[in-house]
Amino acid sequence: MALKSVETSNPRAVATPVTDTAERALLDRIARSRDQAAFRTLYGNYYQRLTRLLARMSVRREDIEEVINDTFWVVWTKASEFRGASQLSTWIIGIAYRRALNALRRAKLRPVADHEFDEDSVSVGSTEEQETNEQWLSLGLERLPVEQRMALELTYTLGHSCEEVAAILDCPVNTVKTRLFRARETLKQVLPQLAGMSGEKS
Amino acid sequence: MSARVPDTHAEAWALLPWLANGRIAPEDREWVEGHVAGCAECRAELAAQRLVVSQVERDEAAAPAPAASEEQRSFNKLWARIEAAESVSASSASSAGTPVPAPRAARTVRWLAAAVVVQAIGLGVIGLAMFGQSRNDAFVTVSSVEAPRANAPTVRIVFSPDASIATINTLLTHQGLSIVSGPGTSGNFTAQLSADAVASGASAESVAAVISRDPNVTFAQPVAR
Repeated sequence: MALKSVETSNPRAVATPVTDTAERALLDRIARSRDQAAFRTLYGNYYQRLTRLLARMSVRREDIEEVINDTFWVVWTKASEFRGASQLSTWIIGIAYRRALNALRRAKLRPVADHEFDEDSVSVGSTEEQETNEQWLSLGLERLPVEQRMALELTYTLGHSCEEVAAILDCPVNTVKTRLFRARETLKQVLPQLAGMSGEKS
Repeated sequence: MSARVPDTHAEAWALLPWLANGRIAPEDREWVEGHVAGCAECRAELAAQRLVVSQVERDEAAAPAPAASEEQRSFNKLWARIEAAESVSASSASSAGTPVPAPRAARTVRWLAAAVVVQAIGLGVIGLAMFGQSRNDAFVTVSSVEAPRANAPTVRIVFSPDASIATINTLLTHQGLSIVSGPGTSGNFTAQLSADAVASGASAESVAAVISRDPNVTFAQPVAR
């Protein structure tokens, strides 16, 4: 598989205790002294991560900046209200997720809902498989309802734990497991790369 | 391990994504790994999920990172919006003795603020370009602002960062606008309508509506007098 060798920072960098502590210090400076430099640093920590996540949610390119800036508008105005019960990253990404859902609704581009899913129309395994091999996963992800896709993206792309995904999506842990379960089943139906790997369920 | 180990196939199956991404809870790891070791179906599913993880990593590595300039431009827009909103908040609080508006209220000035934002960049470009202009040039420049006239219709404008000085000059001239102040702290300019333009029926509202549709203008709004 031909991969572009592009040097990037690791967008999968999940908040560790160290980074969470550092980011909380930034948020504290924002809350206490309206520190622009701290705000700029925190913005930079999330800009690339959110840009890619929102693109994968099918948020329109022209809406992505607005969603990110709306998110950080909330961070700026609510910095003193962050209680710290969760990681700062789950708070920020959760805000972005809800803003993105609003943007998708406004754009009427929300991906197909569960009940609209038609597996006959979504197979991406075909004679074009070789040509599209590099994007095979993306093609499958595009077929998922947004809630399932987000659960999967947060788990695999950003590397969050189940509990963190639940905090971001503001839903119970079991709902996260269910969404990911259904996403996995769908991907196996539409992606021949995965279909052959899992045995039939007993 | 512990007494809470459910050790059921379904529960282990549900947790496989976090075994694959390495973020499974420590208290679950041992029993899930124990189940997977003895379950061919879960081993195959774990392999599939690890394939997804590796493909995600490939996709992420191959995706071009947003340009640093793009990030800075976005931040500048946000910061201008914040400055504009806080300026409004401060003035309304001082004039009416009211508390600072809630974020929702501040959102109402979002377009104003957003427009003001881009000018931070635009004004820098404009300022540099203007700096190079001869004082004899006919351009309306920040350094040659006209004296404000009382009660003249006034418009607040933020120009696109891509707008050239010549374009801005043409735009202002065609509308009968003269810059009377600016850039403000957020980079916005204040312009007034000429007496001739007013005599021909133009108003701050009509001019703002016209120029706000111009691609060289990020934001334009009549100023209440």
